[in-house]
Amino acid sequence: MARPAMLRTRREFLKTATLAAGVGAPLLSAAPARAQRQKLVYWCYQFLKASDDSRAAFAQEWAKKNNVDLQITMVPWKEFMPKITAAIEAKSTPDIVESGAVELRGRGQLLDVTDIYKKLEKTYGGWVGCAPKFMVEPDGRVHHILYGFQGFMLMARDDMTKEAGFTKPPATWAELLDQAKKAQRPPRSYGLGIPVSNQTDSNVWEDVMKSYGARLADDKGKRVVLGDYKAQVWEFLDYFNEVWKSGTLPPGVTTWDNTMNNSTFQSGKAVFILNPITLTLWIEANNPEMLPKIGHYMYPRGPKGLVHPVNYGSRSILKYTKVPDLAKQFLWDSMEPGKMDREHSVSQWGPVLKAYLAFDVWKKKSYMKGLVELSQNAEPEGYPDVFNDAWREQATNTTVSRMLQRLAVDNWPRDKAFAESVDVLTRIYGKYA
Amino acid sequence: MATVERSVAVATPAPRVAQRWWPLSPARREALQGMGLLVPTMLLLLGLVLYPFLYAIWLGFTDKAVGSPGTFVGLKNYRYVIASPQFSAALVNTVVFTVAAVAIKFVLGMGVAVVLNQQIRGRNFFRAFLLMPWVMPAFVVYLVWRWLFDPLSGLINYALLDLGLLTRPIPFLSERSTAMASVIMAHVWRAFPFFAISFLAGMQTISQELYDAAQVDGASRWRQFRHITLPSLYHIIGVVVMLSTIWTANAFEPIYLLTGGGPSDATVVYTLLAYLMGMVNLHLGEAAAVSTLFLPLLLALILAVTALLHRKAH
Repeated sequence: MARPAMLRTRREFLKTATLAAGVGAPLLSAAPARAQRQKLVYWCYQFLKASDDSRAAFAQEWAKKNNVDLQITMVPWKEFMPKITAAIEAKSTPDIVESGAVELRGRGQLLDVTDIYKKLEKTYGGWVGCAPKFMVEPDGRVHHILYGFQGFMLMARDDMTKEAGFTKPPATWAELLDQAKKAQRPPRSYGLGIPVSNQTDSNVWEDVMKSYGARLADDKGKRVVLGDYKAQVWEFLDYFNEVWKSGTLPPGVTTWDNTMNNSTFQSGKAVFILNPITLTLWIEANNPEMLPKIGHYMYPRGPKGLVHPVNYGSRSILKYTKVPDLAKQFLWDSMEPGKMDREHSVSQWGPVLKAYLAFDVWKKKSYMKGLVELSQNAEPEGYPDVFNDAWREQATNTTVSRMLQRLAVDNWPRDKAFAESVDVLTRIYGKYA
Repeated sequence: MATVERSVAVATPAPRVAQRWWPLSPARREALQGMGLLVPTMLLLLGLVLYPFLYAIWLGFTDKAVGSPGTFVGLKNYRYVIASPQFSAALVNTVVFTVAAVAIKFVLGMGVAVVLNQQIRGRNFFRAFLLMPWVMPAFVVYLVWRWLFDPLSGLINYALLDLGLLTRPIPFLSERSTAMASVIMAHVWRAFPFFAISFLAGMQTISQELYDAAQVDGASRWRQFRHITLPSLYHIIGVVVMLSTIWTANAFEPIYLLTGGGPSDATVVYTLLAYLMGMVNLHLGEAAAVSTLFLPLLLALILAVTALLHRKAH
């Protein structure tokens, strides 16, 4: 019996269906893949709101323009290391981070970005000041891209010092103490809002010590030589003892965290502090009538000269990233002068590329002149010591500030405190030798 | 008997033993089944507790740093940690902080529990109110205490100066003589409600008849407390003190937020030292060595407390 033309046997039906499925499946699975956007995870350094907002806004615009699914996390500096440590151990890292990078670089966690470094150098007229020293390693490779310099400056309440009869900023540390003693009115105000605690802002004392001629390690950054500089350290400790006994340091400085010097100055209770201009930007936004009363100066000199190191902010790419080209594209785009001009006008960062030196912002604000000068002339953090892992570890341990606390808090004799510091440094540097 | 003789004679196959595929007694079988049911839980516990514990001990013998697998370095980390000036300070401070804080929490908690066990007006309100420090986030509590202790703008100094009791502010957190006591005070304030609430719960289970009988016999309030209340609470005290010893010895926030271990090393405890070595300096092996070195001390503290209370209870 003949079958109607439209009817199919079960076998024919299955055959057709399988064929159709076979042809359609790749098309179906390809559709979401085409729609899927690349994902980029970006950990942004969190400190000054206006600056943070500016960088985050750029990142969001960039993601929209490039059709990228961007996830931004703001991470305060203090929390960065614990967070990235956990992320690396859990094999769940971000693609791009804003950090000092030196710790991650030393442990081989970062992607090589030498190509971006060279392209930026060539396109934008070269790097400013000591930027290459921070980035280029002995073998010529680069693992992080600086986006700004940041340095501690001497900030003074000029109105208070003027009232005490001083018309010029202190040129030496001894002059600073003298002005501080005469300008302070305790308990209403104290001369020097400088921490002597276990927090990293206390490392300014290391700079003071070095301006007395001492240094921690040799030129290679391997062997501790502080023991050879006993005379210089003694002179520095004499100076510190004088500071301590003068009553110019506010009560409580031995447990201050990195915000207390800021808040003391903001509340008008300190004549001098050593701080980056983040504080100035805060004052400009929140207490503008205070701004004209504040002067910004280079560090005072010690008996052996000026030691005024500069710090930096940088971006790097974790080696675990699945989108290395996209991450590099972000690094490149984020250094574009137009974008950086907008960012510098609301941030604490000094220029790192010569093309940025032409920005108006450096001329508009008087305190920015000091930042440009610092960016162009200052030496890297740790100077005259080598900025390496060993130096960083002793810095996070605030070795010099701990020596001072042994004198001030524990009433140790100088010999004992000095010997302990040399021993601690030797053991830290010994780990990296 | 005849049947037996006949079966031998015709050499029929031996009678089949009953089909016992399980050659165990019912009691043993039940025990094995129980153990089988426990296996998943045991595996879970082994995975979640024992493995990390043993791994942490292993880490102490390696140069494990962030992002690197680490290699065996023997006792190098232990030698480094023990020779560190902060280690001896952390050892003493951990014991002082734990013993003092637990003792004060115990006395304070017991006192408050006794008061709230009385028929006083607003008792329920005070019982609920008591829990406030315990339920507040530690971060908030310790930042508030830091502000209270602040010598420049803190409430305590402000009040004492205003009342004329001081001529210059006291840096409570920044002098060796007062720093540890201040940290203990802040910690006790936050943690004593746990003692008070636990003791109060225990007191409410003690039969009123015991107190009535003691009163008839002329026992004073103190004797009633000593011979009825306290012995009835021994088991609760044991659990509470043991838990609190563990928690206090492992406390991190009060030190980190109030003093950061300073001034000098006056308040550094082992948890902070492990944090600095592991999370700040990125030497996970050293951090693991610190934790492992403190393990015997913590165990000794816990065993001492448990043994003491166990003996009292019996």
